[in-house]
Amino acid sequence: MKTTVKYIISLALIIIGTSLCPTDASSQDYASDPQFKVKIDFNRWHDVHELYDDMRRLEKAYPEFLSMESVGKSYNGLDIMVMKINNPNTGNEMDKAAMHIEANIHGNEIQGGEVCLYTIWYLMENYGRIDKITKLVDERVFYIFPTVNPDGRQHYMEKEGGGARTGHVPVDDDNDGLYEEDPSNDLNGNGVIEQIRKYVPGEGNYRISRDDPRFMEPVPFGETGDYIMLGSEGIDDDKDGRVNEDGPGSYDPNRNWGSNWQPNYIQGGAMDYPFQLPETRALNDFLFAHPNIAGLQSYHNTGGMILRGPGAKTTGEYPRSDVSFYDELGKDGERMLPFYRYMVIWSGLYNVYGGSIDWSNDGLGIPSFSNELWSGSGQYFTSPELKEQAKDPNSPISRSKSRYFFDDHLEFGDQYVPWKTFDHPDYGEVEMGGRFKKHLGRLPPRFMNEELCHRNMAFTLYQADEMPMIELGETSVKKISGDVYRVWIDITNPKITPSIMAKAAQNNVVRPDLILLNGDVELISASWINDKATHDYTNPITSLIDQKDLKRLIIRNGHPGKTTRTLQYLVKGSGNISITYDSVKGGKVSTNVQLK
Amino acid sequence: MEVIVNHLFNYCNRRGLVLLISLLMSGSICLSQAAFGQEDSDYKNFEQFESALKSLVKAHSGLAAMESIGKTNSGREIWLLTIAKKSGTPVDQRPGLLVNANLEGDHLIGSEIALGSMKYLLSNYESDESIKKALDEHVFYFLPKINPDGAEKNFGGLSSGVKTNDTNYDGDNDGRMDEDGPDDLNGDGIITVMRVKDPNGLYMIDPDNPGLMKKSDPMKGEAGEYSVYWEGIDNDADGFINEDPTGGVDINRNFMHKYPYFKEDAGIHMASEKETRAVIDWIVKQRNVAIMLTFGESDNLISPPNSRGELSSDKGISMFDFADASFAGASKVGMVSTGRGYGMGRFMGMQFFRGSRSSTPEASSGRSSRPAREPATTVNKSDQELFNQFSKKYKEITGFESQPPLREPAGALFEYGYYQYGIPSLATPGWSMDIPKDTTLKEDRQGRQTSGRQSSARGAFSMRGASGMTGAGGSSGGGDGMDATALKWLKKNNSDGFVEWQSVSHPDFDDVEVGGFDPMAVTNPPADMISDLGEKHGEFMVYLSSLYADVKIAQTEVTSHGGGIFRIKAEIENAGFLPTAIQHGVTSRGVKPTMVQLGVDPDAIMSGSRKTNFIQKLDGSGKRQKYEWLIKGRSGDKIELKVVSQKGGSDSATIVLK
Repeated sequence: MKTTVKYIISLALIIIGTSLCPTDASSQDYASDPQFKVKIDFNRWHDVHELYDDMRRLEKAYPEFLSMESVGKSYNGLDIMVMKINNPNTGNEMDKAAMHIEANIHGNEIQGGEVCLYTIWYLMENYGRIDKITKLVDERVFYIFPTVNPDGRQHYMEKEGGGARTGHVPVDDDNDGLYEEDPSNDLNGNGVIEQIRKYVPGEGNYRISRDDPRFMEPVPFGETGDYIMLGSEGIDDDKDGRVNEDGPGSYDPNRNWGSNWQPNYIQGGAMDYPFQLPETRALNDFLFAHPNIAGLQSYHNTGGMILRGPGAKTTGEYPRSDVSFYDELGKDGERMLPFYRYMVIWSGLYNVYGGSIDWSNDGLGIPSFSNELWSGSGQYFTSPELKEQAKDPNSPISRSKSRYFFDDHLEFGDQYVPWKTFDHPDYGEVEMGGRFKKHLGRLPPRFMNEELCHRNMAFTLYQADEMPMIELGETSVKKISGDVYRVWIDITNPKITPSIMAKAAQNNVVRPDLILLNGDVELISASWINDKATHDYTNPITSLIDQKDLKRLIIRNGHPGKTTRTLQYLVKGSGNISITYDSVKGGKVSTNVQLK
Repeated sequence: MEVIVNHLFNYCNRRGLVLLISLLMSGSICLSQAAFGQEDSDYKNFEQFESALKSLVKAHSGLAAMESIGKTNSGREIWLLTIAKKSGTPVDQRPGLLVNANLEGDHLIGSEIALGSMKYLLSNYESDESIKKALDEHVFYFLPKINPDGAEKNFGGLSSGVKTNDTNYDGDNDGRMDEDGPDDLNGDGIITVMRVKDPNGLYMIDPDNPGLMKKSDPMKGEAGEYSVYWEGIDNDADGFINEDPTGGVDINRNFMHKYPYFKEDAGIHMASEKETRAVIDWIVKQRNVAIMLTFGESDNLISPPNSRGELSSDKGISMFDFADASFAGASKVGMVSTGRGYGMGRFMGMQFFRGSRSSTPEASSGRSSRPAREPATTVNKSDQELFNQFSKKYKEITGFESQPPLREPAGALFEYGYYQYGIPSLATPGWSMDIPKDTTLKEDRQGRQTSGRQSSARGAFSMRGASGMTGAGGSSGGGDGMDATALKWLKKNNSDGFVEWQSVSHPDFDDVEVGGFDPMAVTNPPADMISDLGEKHGEFMVYLSSLYADVKIAQTEVTSHGGGIFRIKAEIENAGFLPTAIQHGVTSRGVKPTMVQLGVDPDAIMSGSRKTNFIQKLDGSGKRQKYEWLIKGRSGDKIELKVVSQKGGSDSATIVLK
């Protein structure tokens, strides 16, 4: 009896508590595991406003680490928002290597936005809970842009999905001097551009398939059907004799970047010059203002790919050491994302001129990947047995039918739009339908999205963890004679990413690393030691570093990944000297050496 | 230097008479009352130039308008002048000529010629029928000073040939900004070059022409005795001289054709500069620009593109190339290739099995890879004759034969004009280095032949194919190149333009002489040539404006077939000289096709042509395109037929069904 009362009281308290704080209730009374501070759905698609609202909720819950700001406005005036993640207790934002994560440059490729949101949420909810995450957040900075094409995303979410890849700067697609005057038309307003069929008993050339009533099929020669097909939903808005020939935009924001950019006749959708679009310009300005960015991921869809540059064959392959870096991460990525393959854009996909990750690699010196999220039908039926079965054209999961089977049995018909009658302005009474909804194909089924978010985040966090991090290791001082000393300093980068990529060094786009010696001494020489362990036995001749100012050495191609180098100074003088390794992307570290 | 005084326009001097005669000889009717006072003949700084533009517009407000298309880093306006009679066809719908100048900061003559040409057009409007027609029916756009920040650096009392704007740029990427610029060691107000005695040097004094330097040729037993640098000291003690001067970006290296990626002076990326963006943003909106004429350090008028469609010459001053080459290594200092790092890197071992990795570009995913397309880099065969004709007329009007020093274009506006914007795009330095064919030259030529050289100074200009693309250090310099021609020309026309060598004391070297070409003097002719050049180019601009495509509905015809069925026939004609789009304008999609549209409901058309039709290219000189529609309608219906061409104007006709 007593327990029951207690139970009822506590239940009542919970109900009261829940009703007082309907969202993000403090869940200390639950034994659920883990207990998250901010609850966000990852099984549905967010429009721009809700995406930003969720980011604001996170910012409010984790104000010390998160700050959300606008880097600029889209053509239609929506903010391009970045969430900055930085632990101020572990150092200034600009002194730590930063991972830049963005998504949705193509307006219809939306689920990267959810991956970004998931990443912010996951890092915050697991900070202090999972050691590796805690360390990562302490050591690194994150700049996360869930949508860099908010006009495209919002258009995709609000409208029927067509023509949403582009941004919304007006373009005269049909050369008639008018802009965006004949977009696609969702006549019945159900968010789908459907097929149109008209019932003409005994006079048509199409019939309903006998296999599956959702399919239409042409009748064989000599027979008649009951239907004719009248194309897709849409009207000739400008009465110029063509249908849907000039919708919003119609360019490609991911061809408007500054590396191997080519004009429209070579690269469709490039616009007139790189960074002409307000969105690409704002983003590039941000990237330039943050030289600490040492890794970049740009999420796209679809096809299950981990892409790297070069975008076009004509660019030529990256230098060997850069290729090795990409291979290292890319191959591990394939292990983390079992449905994804690691590829070079031009050879694995197609030639892309003026793409964003070509620019970030070549023009900004940022190692960059682009994941093509969701590998499509390959992820519906995955076991070897089912894959074999799918080859049989009579199987319910054959190539042409697998999506219908999946929709019927796993999504309860959520995606298929059945035929319905409609009074068409030009065709009279017709039926419209027979198509899948817009999300199908490019997006995973909603219930599968959280796995997509997590696996891709994991790969991106792996890259973030492997950004360069220069450490000054062991130093040793040996007296040569009088006040002349030999000083050795070990310089190590334990991460896979070099502090400056080879291509970046070739292009001179990253400020070189500097090794600064501070102290009231005379520097006789500086040189690299080939092998510290055997040096004193073999006594090799070290080559001199041929620079005028030895107290400020320029290391133009930076420090390789997973490497220790030993620097030797011959110094005349006494007392203390300090040595600083200053790398824009690899951090700034100092050590003191006493000459004695 | 003096600000222009407008009332002096009516004052006729000797140059005016020369112009008058030349115009009469070339067949134009010119009753010129206009000519220019000597006051115009001086190079103007920004303030003076701006006020000259303002007075010009004020004096001709019915024909000229002025607006800024953008501001530079230093807040100077980039002025656009629109010159046209405002009444009549809306100015935006008339074919237009765009004149650009001063993309390279040191090309001051371009601005002055542009100003002179504007004056020529405006002050002769009433008296010259061809000019009147040009301003009544067409439009002239002038961007006379596109890089004012760069230009202004050449007015600060130091003549150094600065081409770049004010954008911060770490030229040698050493983490320090603008730390090593030129120093005027001999105090003459000019930055020339230094030759320094150096047993390791690559250069020697040209034995034929002791003022010049040439690259020594070991195969001829020649030892290098000198190194060549720009005049200056090693301000930052990094072993290089003048490797990181103040600024910036050369606007004529910042456009999108053959853009020199990641090269000094080219900017961080294509169209990175305010000046560049101001020009493109304006021009892509202003699609009625039908021809472009750009003054600068490139040419396709004195010497038209050759039969392969390549530029025919781009020779520069070798002495400058030698000096530039002296700090080429500055941006490579600190490439670590030895030391333990590379040997121990974890990637070294991987090279053994990389062959089996699937990431090599040859690996295919099985998707069909679209072949990589390459942009055009030579003038389309079908367009070449046009360039020949422009050149012929240009030389006829100007009398020019020999180019002054030029450079290879890369990221240049005039190339964007043809290769991406898709219109005839002309480039000229605006002056020439013609040396009269006198006996001295003949002797010279003979002298050269006996000394084994292959071409005369003059001959070299028409032989660019042989010399190839001359980049920095590409020419051996000395008497067989541009240097000798420039020296000879300067001695005759501008004796201050070559500084005789003199010894100076130098903190970094022992045996140093300063001398050679004044960079401004080989880019800009003496100021007293300005007004003549302005008039000649004004005349050439009027010629260009007479060539535009001129699209008309030449003929319409209606036939009734009874039962509400009508047949409409129409012929569209291009009565101008140019096609509605040049061939590359079609290829590049820079020029929209000409639209022919019949103003009926699409459902009313039963057969024949479509409602909306496009002509990719309609040749000029009266070429026609025919259309025929069968439509449903009612007698008495009025139907509008319209034709719209970006570069050839528009026309419309009302057709009455009967």
